[in-house]
Amino acid sequence: MRSALTLKVIARCSTTKARVGILTLPHGPVDTPVFMPVGTQGTLKGLTTKQLEELGCQIMLNNTYHLGLKPGQELIEELGGSHKFQNWNRNLLTDSGGFQMVSLLKLAKITEEGVEFQSPHDGSTMLLTPEHSMSLQNSIGADIIMQLDDVVSSLTTGPRVEEAMYRSIRWLDRCINAHKKPESQNLFAIIQGGLNMDLRTKCIEEMVKRDTPGYAIGGLSGGEEKDIFWRIVNFCTDKLPKNKPIYCMGVGYAEDLVVCSALGVDMYDCVFPTRTARFGNALTPKGSLNLKSTKFAQDFEPIEKGCNCLTCKTYTRAYIHMHATRETVGCHLITIHNVSYQLRLMNDIRKAIINDEFPSFVQKFFKELFGGKDKYPIWAVNALKSVNIELLS
Amino acid sequence: MSPLFNLLKTSEKSLRLGRLTLIKNQEQKVLDTPNLLAYTSRGCVPHLTPDNLSSIPLIGAINVTLEHFIDVQPPPSTQFPYGIHKFLNFEEYLVFIDVRDPGNLNLMSNNTDKHVSVYTAHGVRQVTSDSYIKYMNIYKPDIFVSLVDNITDEAPSLKRIKRSVDRTLRWLDDAIYHVKEGAQVFGVLTGHKNQEERIRSAQETAKRNVAGFVLNGKCLGSTSRECVDILKPSINHLPPNKPRLVYGLGTPEDILLGVSEGIDLFDTSYVLKMTNAGNAFVFSLDIKNDLDSFNRQQQIISLWDINYQNDARPLLAGCQCYSCKNHTRAYVHHLLNTHEMLATVLLMSHNLFHYTKFFKDIRESINQDMFSLKVEQFFRVYSDGEKEQKNLSSIILN
Repeated sequence: MRSALTLKVIARCSTTKARVGILTLPHGPVDTPVFMPVGTQGTLKGLTTKQLEELGCQIMLNNTYHLGLKPGQELIEELGGSHKFQNWNRNLLTDSGGFQMVSLLKLAKITEEGVEFQSPHDGSTMLLTPEHSMSLQNSIGADIIMQLDDVVSSLTTGPRVEEAMYRSIRWLDRCINAHKKPESQNLFAIIQGGLNMDLRTKCIEEMVKRDTPGYAIGGLSGGEEKDIFWRIVNFCTDKLPKNKPIYCMGVGYAEDLVVCSALGVDMYDCVFPTRTARFGNALTPKGSLNLKSTKFAQDFEPIEKGCNCLTCKTYTRAYIHMHATRETVGCHLITIHNVSYQLRLMNDIRKAIINDEFPSFVQKFFKELFGGKDKYPIWAVNALKSVNIELLS
Repeated sequence: MSPLFNLLKTSEKSLRLGRLTLIKNQEQKVLDTPNLLAYTSRGCVPHLTPDNLSSIPLIGAINVTLEHFIDVQPPPSTQFPYGIHKFLNFEEYLVFIDVRDPGNLNLMSNNTDKHVSVYTAHGVRQVTSDSYIKYMNIYKPDIFVSLVDNITDEAPSLKRIKRSVDRTLRWLDDAIYHVKEGAQVFGVLTGHKNQEERIRSAQETAKRNVAGFVLNGKCLGSTSRECVDILKPSINHLPPNKPRLVYGLGTPEDILLGVSEGIDLFDTSYVLKMTNAGNAFVFSLDIKNDLDSFNRQQQIISLWDINYQNDARPLLAGCQCYSCKNHTRAYVHHLLNTHEMLATVLLMSHNLFHYTKFFKDIRESINQDMFSLKVEQFFRVYSDGEKEQKNLSSIILN
């Protein structure tokens, strides 16, 4: 199908499957691998779009389900789409809305027609179909839009997984047919198939035939064993076409980003860095700091030495301790730092791949984050071993 | 080095145009008055990260409230070796510290000769004069306010009022005696509603080496007019060459009233209240044409109002603040409606920007001998109800 993006791979790791690309979208270039912060309701948790630009953010997420409720499809269309609405001139990605229905609404029911759910407003039964999801996402106008897929928990087994996979393929076809703006919005397919490699293979075969501009690995990050998670990711990156971006949905922990990049993933999103900030947690290469703790009351160091974000250049941990979870400014400052941390991590990953030093970067990263080798998560050790990095040697 | 307060102009009865100049470490900070001291909560201007704060160029002074800091004594921040300006990242600003929160002067008595009671996030604490001065000598603000024995009774005895004046003067003497070079002390005028005691407090405070005066009318009088009337005996006995700060006057009418009575400095807790309520300032002292002045206008708009849901205009047409240059009313309405924190960031950016502009317009109107005219227009355009309008404007203009 028609595509409104180009992916230019500019470097490949000689050891792992990691790669660096320039993904050019309608609102400018995106350096991959990329972490995309989540601005659910058309705003990234207290940050201005100017601050996001200054942090170097090239693409963020909005959630279709939330924007569809407020301000609603009609208004967002009237106001010129989501870019204009929030004054964000860089790239946006929207999800299909289906995941929120299944995760937020208890009474969601999935039929061939779509996802049935009870309206949070008046309790009436509503239906999100692939066509409706496309219509909403066309109104919002993000640079990348996602197909409606049949989401099952990654812990589900049996025929339901197969049914969901086949239905996701059928829904992809309906999405392709209903998509009105392929010249300015890139529709990504979502690979389903649970933890079953045969189902994943079948799904990839069918979806690749549809030739969508990019592919997402779906149905993960739902509580499955990490040792199974990485195998699915690894399997999918092996099978998916090399000339298109691969997006692993819902991934955002630092070690996951490093491992999945080694496995060949290009794009990630997660609410974690911004959500944890609002609970007073700051991310650093040595792990998370809970700045609410009184042990920071007289700590006059920045959150992270050497970090060049506004927060670290300006304030001490003691200052942020006074504000964390008490003043909105405390949230803003930690959010700025955490987004900065995530984007810098991705930048470091890219730099290491370009310099073909990625394996030693990975070694250093794990050592700093976990301290001793005895503390390395075994799944990460296994995953990296599969792409020729021996963490424990 | 003493702060220099120059009266640049006095006219139309009590109107004053002044300039406060502080020189510290060879750096000069200037604050033209009438002006505002930006209100802070726990040492930050609420909702604004430093980059957003610096997008409001007319802010020159910050009011830091000690009671936000002292649930533990000594406050951990007194261990920070480089002073309060650096700790709070207010090095560009004139930093002014008071013990109580001007936006939240909870009734609280239980002061003794030794201490005042303050209201922290973790309950009531006592601050002694000694410890207060010790903290100030560590923090090194540009200006701090000496302790005050506030009276919270509705109808205190004369004995209580006298004790309040005496204690406050004694604490002022302590502060002036013990303060190290670098900080200046403002004295607080008390005397409750007793005219003689208010005069005594003013005269005695004025005899001392203070850099300025604080008048707290918040707990006195039910209306701003009553409050100012109660403070008047104090104001009338102050020397003209030192700045006067009043807490609790926040609305545009209040500010105009205070300016007309010779007040130089105001706090901005009102701006925070309006912001948190989802309101944007749209009033102006600069009323362009007669047509405007015949149509009564809104001073503020509530962005919660559903009528703004598709309003693609900025909060205020022509406003040069960050919010108005980048965002629409529809977006701010959406942010409020979805309980997103960016709502108060954008509203605070606008409201504080607008408030500083209002003060600038006031200064210009005094400079151009246009203040009375502007105030008259202002009341005609904005005031609710004929009676209130008549009342307020006649008092200002008489």
